[in-house]
Amino acid sequence: MTTPEVDDQPLDPAAMLALSREQQSKVNTSYARPMVYMLGSWAIAWGIGFLVLWSGVPETNSPVFVPQPAATIIFAALIIAASVTCAVLGIRMNRGIRGSSNYAGAVYGATWSIGSTAAAAIGVALLNAGLSSDLAGLFFPAIYSLVVGIIYLAGAAIWRDKGQLILGIWIIAVGSIAPFFGYPGNFLLMSILGGGGFAVGAIAIAVSLASTRKKVSRG
Amino acid sequence: MAELDPVIHAQARLRIMATLATLDSDGSIAFPRLQELLDMTAGNLSTHLRKLEDAEYVSQEKSFRGRTPVTFVATTKSGRRAFEDYMEQLRTLLGGTA
Repeated sequence: MTTPEVDDQPLDPAAMLALSREQQSKVNTSYARPMVYMLGSWAIAWGIGFLVLWSGVPETNSPVFVPQPAATIIFAALIIAASVTCAVLGIRMNRGIRGSSNYAGAVYGATWSIGSTAAAAIGVALLNAGLSSDLAGLFFPAIYSLVVGIIYLAGAAIWRDKGQLILGIWIIAVGSIAPFFGYPGNFLLMSILGGGGFAVGAIAIAVSLASTRKKVSRG
Repeated sequence: MAELDPVIHAQARLRIMATLATLDSDGSIAFPRLQELLDMTAGNLSTHLRKLEDAEYVSQEKSFRGRTPVTFVATTKSGRRAFEDYMEQLRTLLGGTA
């Protein structure tokens, strides 16, 4: 923190240009850093959650066996934890900031709850109509991936973000290819390629933040 | 070459304008969040905001969140233009290579 007397003074033009860039990159970082934690929490939820679901099916010969009811509870808890993490970080990211993009942000945030509730409702209706639990195991991850992927594509459109575009396409691809591998193999695919996709996204943002910081401090 | 705008050509005020320029054109930011992004004391930030307000580069609007008063700060149209002109001038001074 500088004193009022010092920061009332100008520096030479190159230093002033650097100062302005450094400040704007600091502002951008305050938006990008929570994205690392958001994607990281989905990487954990999908990576571990689907793996636990897979290991709960006896015929997988998984080295670790988690009883199915426990596996379902662990999976649900991880997904809920990631959703809460994202909601809290999303609200914190925009605190104290007003503007036309607030509307887009609010609709985007609500789309997560609307989309996942609708997907769950359709699945429950199919279960009521006699969908077997094996088929439900194929259906739920697929429709959920479709919802999640499309929301990332919406995010890419709103914020002109190529990272979200790639992630959205990847999640939709994984979700729609996984059912072809049958139950419960699809869980393993969701864990490795879905969870892995989120992990790669989180790492990519973290690396780009670190390199921006280096560039700015070098001037 | 015209002189650099003395209102913006000071470290603290340039950082304030650079931060406000990242908002939507109709956007504004709460004083505490702005203070946090700038890492400045409230008193220091107020002093510089007043100078920018006197030049009609920023506007401050008091509103209430529940019963707590919050001041929202935004650039004016002329402030945004002045900041862009200032940055353009810096780049020209540096030979247009930056």
